[in-house]
Amino acid sequence: MGTEKRKPFLEVLIRQRYLFLMSFPFLAWLFVFSYVPIWGWTMAFQSFRPGKAFGEQKWVGFDNFIALFADERFYMVLRNTLGMSLLALLVGYTVPIIFALILNEVRHQLFKRSIQTITYLPHFVSWVIVAGLVSKMLSIEGIINEILMSLHIVNEPVQFMQKERWFWGIVTASDMWKETGWNSIIFLAAIIGIDPELHEAATVDGAGRFRRMWHITLPGIRPTIMVMLILSIGWLTSIGFEKQFLLGNPIVNDYAEVLDLYVLNYGIKVGRYSYGTAIGIFNSLVSIILLVISNAIFKRTTKESVI
Amino acid sequence: MSGAAAGARRRRQGLAFYGFLYLFMILVSAITLYPFLNILAISLNDATDSMRGGIYLWPRVFTLQNYSAIFRFSNLLTAFQNSVLRTVIGTVLGVFAAAMIAFTVSRKDFVARRFVSVVLALTLYFSGGLVPVYMLLRDLHLLNSFWVYIFPGLVNAWNVFVLRSYMDGLPFVLQESAKLDGASDWRIFISVILPLCKPVLATIALFIAVGQWNAWFDTFLYNSGKPGLTTLQYELMKILQNTASQGGQTVRDQREMVGRISPESIRMAITFVAAVPIILVYPFLQKYFVKGLTLGAVKS
Amino acid sequence: MKAKKFKAVPLAILALIIVLIAASCSKSASQDPGKGTPSSSPSGTQSATASADDKTPITLTMFGADPNPNWENMESPVGKKITEITGVKLQMEYAIGDQKQKISLMAASGEYPDLIFAHGNENILVDAGAYLDLTDLIEKYGPNIKKLYGDYLSRLRWNGQDKSIYYLGSFGVNDKQWKPATGFELQHAVVKDLGYPKLKTLQDFENAIKTYKDKHPTIDGQPTIGLSLLADDWRYKITVTNPAVFSTGGPDDGEWWVDPETHKAKFHYTRPEEKEYFKWLNHMNAVGLLDKESFVQKYDQYNAKISSGRVIALADANWEYVDAERALRQAGKDDRMYGMYPITLREDIKYADFQSAGYSAGWGVGISKTAKDPVRAIKFLDWLASDEAQILNYWGIEGVHYKIENGKRVIPPEEMAKRVSDPEYGKKTGIGVFTYPFPQQGIGVLDPSGQTYTTDSLEQIKANYTAAEKDVLSHYGVEMWKDLYPPTESFPVKPWGAAWQINIPQNTDAAVIAQKCEDIVKKKVPQMILAKPGEFDRIWDEFMADLDKAGVHKMEDEFSKLLADKIKLWNE
Repeated sequence: MGTEKRKPFLEVLIRQRYLFLMSFPFLAWLFVFSYVPIWGWTMAFQSFRPGKAFGEQKWVGFDNFIALFADERFYMVLRNTLGMSLLALLVGYTVPIIFALILNEVRHQLFKRSIQTITYLPHFVSWVIVAGLVSKMLSIEGIINEILMSLHIVNEPVQFMQKERWFWGIVTASDMWKETGWNSIIFLAAIIGIDPELHEAATVDGAGRFRRMWHITLPGIRPTIMVMLILSIGWLTSIGFEKQFLLGNPIVNDYAEVLDLYVLNYGIKVGRYSYGTAIGIFNSLVSIILLVISNAIFKRTTKESVI
Repeated sequence: MSGAAAGARRRRQGLAFYGFLYLFMILVSAITLYPFLNILAISLNDATDSMRGGIYLWPRVFTLQNYSAIFRFSNLLTAFQNSVLRTVIGTVLGVFAAAMIAFTVSRKDFVARRFVSVVLALTLYFSGGLVPVYMLLRDLHLLNSFWVYIFPGLVNAWNVFVLRSYMDGLPFVLQESAKLDGASDWRIFISVILPLCKPVLATIALFIAVGQWNAWFDTFLYNSGKPGLTTLQYELMKILQNTASQGGQTVRDQREMVGRISPESIRMAITFVAAVPIILVYPFLQKYFVKGLTLGAVKS
Repeated sequence: MKAKKFKAVPLAILALIIVLIAASCSKSASQDPGKGTPSSSPSGTQSATASADDKTPITLTMFGADPNPNWENMESPVGKKITEITGVKLQMEYAIGDQKQKISLMAASGEYPDLIFAHGNENILVDAGAYLDLTDLIEKYGPNIKKLYGDYLSRLRWNGQDKSIYYLGSFGVNDKQWKPATGFELQHAVVKDLGYPKLKTLQDFENAIKTYKDKHPTIDGQPTIGLSLLADDWRYKITVTNPAVFSTGGPDDGEWWVDPETHKAKFHYTRPEEKEYFKWLNHMNAVGLLDKESFVQKYDQYNAKISSGRVIALADANWEYVDAERALRQAGKDDRMYGMYPITLREDIKYADFQSAGYSAGWGVGISKTAKDPVRAIKFLDWLASDEAQILNYWGIEGVHYKIENGKRVIPPEEMAKRVSDPEYGKKTGIGVFTYPFPQQGIGVLDPSGQTYTTDSLEQIKANYTAAEKDVLSHYGVEMWKDLYPPTESFPVKPWGAAWQINIPQNTDAAVIAQKCEDIVKKKVPQMILAKPGEFDRIWDEFMADLDKAGVHKMEDEFSKLLADKIKLWNE
């Protein structure tokens, strides 16, 4: 790269013409579909009313941001959002990797494929239905309580859904059930890309199964793991609200309401589109800062990075 | 320690390991499969009877009525056709676009590499919001058009980065030797990189296909005025009408909604109808997941 | 081998794409009735002068914020008949999910279908100037509309500043109420077992639940559940908080209570009487008569419990548990179905379920300013308001869905059986599809021949009672459930209509306060009910303090202004 820079730009352009042709048209595409609509951010500085022309809108400066940072509820939903995303990152991210590693050890192809297909099924069940199943399972007369009672672990049925402190765990576990198979697909694909000669060489050297997993498979998929991790860290504040909303109830709401639901309730639902946009901007800025920081850290420590 | 004894011990350990492994996998699939079978059973049970609950793996009052209630909707065929079309076109174009960009940013010698990466990465973390996007699509004459399903999401940065991380793992020697043979970058992309990336291309194809298949919101926002452009998921959402679970509803709306919330059995039947076609895609893609064309094969 | 296969896949996909594109292109070309039909534009210019029975085919596009699952693309017998009579074919577009989003987008882009039903989001469209003022159009082309709404036509006006009529109210005009909508429910088996006790106050209600539950700790082998409530999403308002208003004598005004003398609105929770109600719920929980899962169960679980027959009491609106009751009926457990009782806090309080709100316009169908032919559109709406259309929409086609015997419309028994039991009846026949949200005559209103426009009748309601139900009613000395309630005549008509139909304007402080108050209610009410009885007062005080802090009085003042504006507008 250092040598490239010293060469005349035109020469590089010609030599790498295919690379430019293969990427820049798409950048123009992104510019139109992703960057142009950013003018919508102006809405955050207005008191936007739909149906009025741009010139007719009232400008309010930073009022929406001031109102946002002054609202106690905002900090509560931010805590819940970050709490649940960190758990999701911890569990929802490592479990699929482990699952992929283990599944990769299955030699019987048909069995392996069947397991893959079965474990990815729950991804296609909507949260409405998953939430219904989970609530039923965890109810007083649900199967979990029945098992706990019959094993004499508890004497009274446990009201799982009424425990504020357990809510994050319930969401994370449901998410794990729903998405582990699906999320492991990408790691399975990455594992296949590892040169089999490496495994053969290690086996000849007498490396056991777990050592091969640790020293060959895991490093082999490290680029994928790191890229996924960096991208997910950027999404810490935007986790959607569907599952929390559907699994939640009034009793645990102080731990269930997340930022995206707050946007809906205090933005769109009451007609404050500008407020919603202000939160969107806040979200984007946090995401980009997180992305840049994590990217820099990983670049220095693992040599893997996104940008 | 003799070699034979060590070998026998390793075999015994191996056997125990596999026994445990298979048992674990069977357990995991039971946990994931059971709810699905439960959904199927409820969808095949009489809707009023289902309300009593207590249906597990087998319907109590068997009926196909929940399915016939769904299939009675006349434009389901058009919807299915459009869904297949958008899935196929969107996947082919999306995979191709992502692969091309990924190839350029995986090339360490590409001068605009960092610029392209940054422009891409930023799109993952911001959005202009619903209204500006809507107005943009209106100005581009994409409203009430099939292409609104394809164009806005054609370039997906996440897919690009996943592909790139895979390409990064391929030895650069391959490209260099092809270059020495006089191949252009385009040639290298087509005949060296793409064949090597089959497993990850299949993965990306699956992600895009599932995303396209499951999308209904774009139909609702941009194309709901044109029945010829409807999609299966949108039609099913209409039948589902789970307005009850959407945040923005108020009590008074429910006064007219008497009896309009779909019973559980219909919801389960819809889940099934919506999911089965796309679920069938995976087993077919799985053949690209085996070690076929590997590095060794290319090198020799 | 491998390489060949790899090529075959894209080729096959390409071929598939071409076929599908070809198929969908030819399809969309032939299936695009929306625009450019040659007849629509000439008729647009002519019809202003054309005669009233202009039947040239025209397609009107319409947006419906509230999906109608029975929508049949006007292909049912009734739908076809309407097209035959009016020449109009409606092309419907329904909102699913968040209607407000879609409506905001329409407003932002300025592109509207011919007819719009915005279902409570009219203010966004009025702001954007999306509607035509219908006043003159009704004057010129709307004789049936005028007749149907009568004096209430002036109630369709928007507000004190803007007196345009933007839409035709969608609720039945002059509806008669024949069934109680809300109440406190007890299984027939309970009242029977206890010898039909007096059921007037919460104390009576509690005694009945307690006595029965002690006597029968299990039903069909499962533990008996006393009173079950439901707090799934918005439903907490129906079973947890609305009964607080009703049992203390308030009519259904949503989250409001309006002082009948001063017409000042109050956020209903701030009434001291309601503290008594919630205290009673707290007591019910403490003594184990309240379902422990009241605040965590989902609607499906609630239904499943009710249809298992072991929930002996409810405090619900009829429409919310009616599906579960159907399951009980199907299972032959008639005596596990519920009777509805007007229970109040004290005996001197009157349960106001039957108090009339007069006519409230609420929401309805309007014509957009971009409509291609507003005259045809209003004529279509006017025809829908006519006697001919009302009878067609409620009864169906003569000789097919009903017949005339001795000058009276009669539904033959086999047709009636289909009406009651076939859930697809509406979709197959088109009956009922074109009533709501279009103008409609209310239940019990008589046509010129002295019969009701709607098919409901007192006799029919009674005929639908089970034996167990009739038995209970006779022991209480009445014929129908409504007879247990204080009748409509014993209340004045509410001059403000139904307060829940008044929207707080969007993007205002009051709207934000309303959301805050809702969140406080959702948090505090379950807390105070589940608390130890000793803590109840403290939590109640916190509740009031929180509401105060959120600005509840400011919101009440804003709302009272809206209310006053409406009362003034209606009485001009």
